[in-house]
Amino acid sequence: MITNDWHRRLILLILILPTIHTGCRKDPADEKGMVLRQALLSKPQTLDSGNMSDVYSMMVGGDIYEPLYTYHYLKRPYELIPLSADGMPEVSEDHLTYTIKIKKGILFQDDPCFRGSKGREVTVHDYIFAFKRMANIKFINVNWSGWQNKIVGLDDFHEYTRQFKDEYSVDYSKEVDGLLALDDHTIQIKMVKPYPQFISALADICLSPVAQEAVNYYKDEINSHPVGTGPYRLNKWHKGSYLIVVRNNNWRGEKYPTEGEPGDAEEGLLDDAGRELPFVDAVYWTIFKQQQPAWLSFQKGLLDSKSIPKDNFKEAITSETGLSEEMRERNIRLVKFVDPSVFWIGFNMKDKVLGNNLPLRKAISLAIDRERFIDIFFNGHHVAAHGFIAPGRDSYDPEINKCGYSRYDPEQAKLLIKEAELICGDSIAPLKLNMPGSGTFFTQYGQFLQRSFEDVGLTLKVDYMDLPTYMEQTAKGKSQLFASSASAVSPDSLDVLGMFATKNFAPGSNLFFYSNSEFDKLYEEGEVMFPSDQRNELYRKMERMVMEDYPAVFLNHRVSYVLYHDWNRNVKPHAFSFGLTKYRKIDVEKRNKYKDLLRSIR
Amino acid sequence: MNEDNINSFQRSSLWHDAFRRLRRRKFAMVCFWIVAGYFALAVFVYIAESIDPTMSAINWKEQLGQGMEYQRPSLCSVKTIFGTNFLGQSTLISTLYGVKTALAVAFAASVISIMIGVPLGAAAGYFGGVVDDIVVWIYSTLSNIPWIILVMAFAVVLNDDKIMGGKLSGEPGVYLAIGLTSWVGICRLIRGEIIKRKESEYVLAAKAVGCSNSRIIFRHLLPNVFHIIIINFSLRFVSFIHMEVIISFLGLGDANKPSWGKMISAASSELTRGIWWEMTAATMAIFVLSLALNIFGDALRDCLDPKLRMER
Repeated sequence: MITNDWHRRLILLILILPTIHTGCRKDPADEKGMVLRQALLSKPQTLDSGNMSDVYSMMVGGDIYEPLYTYHYLKRPYELIPLSADGMPEVSEDHLTYTIKIKKGILFQDDPCFRGSKGREVTVHDYIFAFKRMANIKFINVNWSGWQNKIVGLDDFHEYTRQFKDEYSVDYSKEVDGLLALDDHTIQIKMVKPYPQFISALADICLSPVAQEAVNYYKDEINSHPVGTGPYRLNKWHKGSYLIVVRNNNWRGEKYPTEGEPGDAEEGLLDDAGRELPFVDAVYWTIFKQQQPAWLSFQKGLLDSKSIPKDNFKEAITSETGLSEEMRERNIRLVKFVDPSVFWIGFNMKDKVLGNNLPLRKAISLAIDRERFIDIFFNGHHVAAHGFIAPGRDSYDPEINKCGYSRYDPEQAKLLIKEAELICGDSIAPLKLNMPGSGTFFTQYGQFLQRSFEDVGLTLKVDYMDLPTYMEQTAKGKSQLFASSASAVSPDSLDVLGMFATKNFAPGSNLFFYSNSEFDKLYEEGEVMFPSDQRNELYRKMERMVMEDYPAVFLNHRVSYVLYHDWNRNVKPHAFSFGLTKYRKIDVEKRNKYKDLLRSIR
Repeated sequence: MNEDNINSFQRSSLWHDAFRRLRRRKFAMVCFWIVAGYFALAVFVYIAESIDPTMSAINWKEQLGQGMEYQRPSLCSVKTIFGTNFLGQSTLISTLYGVKTALAVAFAASVISIMIGVPLGAAAGYFGGVVDDIVVWIYSTLSNIPWIILVMAFAVVLNDDKIMGGKLSGEPGVYLAIGLTSWVGICRLIRGEIIKRKESEYVLAAKAVGCSNSRIIFRHLLPNVFHIIIINFSLRFVSFIHMEVIISFLGLGDANKPSWGKMISAASSELTRGIWWEMTAATMAIFVLSLALNIFGDALRDCLDPKLRMER
């Protein structure tokens, strides 16, 4: 009988144990030290710096990796400053040779891929390896297209890798003429032609130093085993659920900036000037697939900051700039900034129906009421797009709204459709749009477009698909119409202009397969021009040239509204940089009192 | 026994008797008429849509005018009784259209699951041996996978698949996903019944006169277990409606047409800004139909199942 009883207890214990374990998982807020709690609205695609292109990967990866340059955290207009580089580069008079020194004593994080699991010192060979790896044809790289025909010998290296069986059998010892290691801490990069955006391109996470040992050790698993040199390292990644990054004890160290723009001191953004970074010990990224749980977590104080979901806008904001009483009671603060981004409905110019039918493309543009679109989906707080260069960028054209590219005129659209039918020789067949998701936002977005098309006599079928399928179909030119958007990576607008260059056909950034020889010629000119009024004028001319051809319907530019609790310090929105966690600070005592505050409000 | 009694006894078949008993249950009959009303509505929407999709009574795409977005329920017009959605479209019409979507999916899925489950169960029960082993192995394997996960997996796979040149996305994808994964219950039930009955005298008699196996199964055995199929159909129907709602809620259904799941999904984020009417309309429609089907299904089972009948 005693034995039976013991058996029962044992079985009960085994059944209960997992429950206890789950129940005891530490709430990050209860961790000792300073923990920043952030939300991700999608899972990161990869944490391999070499292949990062999505914003969620960069949000996490930005704290783990350090490229050569970055943008100053506080200064505006945005200013490029050295990060792992030791000073700005020496540039030859012909702007073809860049000599860059890197800081001494930078260590990779400790990792089993290194001898004795101790991170070794970074040399310029690790940067050269990052370039060569990006050029490796067997390493399917999303960032390669932007680097074609830029660095002397790198395109040859790209071709050379074709002969190898797989990514890992490529012999990286083959020299690239344009990538020279003058010594362990000095790299010389030779360009094929002047590339004025080169230094800002070096601020891209995808060109952070990569340890060859890590690639060989983890192989395909490197996606989830980042080995970086940044202030944080990955501690845990529970796929689809959360990520934890913690301080990297091997980090080189840095001090909080002592200068900013006027008004920063009054805002308290210089209170920590000259102090040792980072302030936060760990960052807890929770993946929320739905906006509502994230919003409720923020309100409960379980997230430190959160952008406002469209359905909660009226709850948070009561007037153009003001916070609602409810938010004020909770000591919640608001930051608002123009995010240089653009949303559009793209046309596949290789498509038989759309490609040779300018009246049809123009009719579709005239059929969409952008103001109503912004009212419905962004509570009227985004800006209608009259072109594709967003406000806030150097070459934004304040006069473009007078050109009428974003006019809403369904009657004119109907007339143009008749013209389009003459070109087709028949009535316009139902059009098909690929949508990169199937959530509520996307289905409502699709319904809105369908109604707009129907109002002018067109039929639109919307195919809601997952992001990888959407990306594959669009890159292969299989989408007839596609909904997409782009965020700027630098103040220079060449990146968005590049979306219309023939040489950037997908899988490069030209998903429209738009080709215009005159535009291409100007693009070649623009590529080698340094910032000047003349270049801005050229960019504006190119933008209008594209707009006249209507390869897309540009809808809106985002204006971001971000809320944060008052225990957050040093919060300043930044349009171009990732890896800003090191500047953030949390008043833990204040955060711990939030529950009392909530109770007192109730 | 006089001749009248004999005639009355002869007329009192299983079905006749069951319907007589059913008619006596007033509440069950109310539920029957509610279900019939839903079906009539679905048929009306289906026919009206095939004749003229822009007919005002079923045109869920129609926008009630500028500034009509998210209008609260009002009695100003029939179309605004349940308010409007983000595009100013009538929630009432979307809800009514949802009846057609839900019933079409549930009906088609029920038919598919019966078409698979009944012959497989009958074959397994009647032939036994290897046939039985194979069928039992298949349904045991399937039943070990959580149903909702299985349906979701099928829905995702079928969503972009083509069969004989036609794409399966939308409604056909949903009812195929549900139908192909839900035949286990009926298969198991029919197998058990056939095992029980295959040694019955009427089957032995059929064998003795030289009937083929298929004739014995389809002409003698299945008609005698048909009431079980009907009961199962009525009870599973509710769960198929719920499954359609779940699939649509998760964004795996037909994204281009209204459904209750889609309405609830949209409303889940809109609730926080006080837009409750879409959620209310869809859930009320589901609640009334589910309740009516459950009550009617239970009553039908009570009337058709000889064991339950005898206990009363």
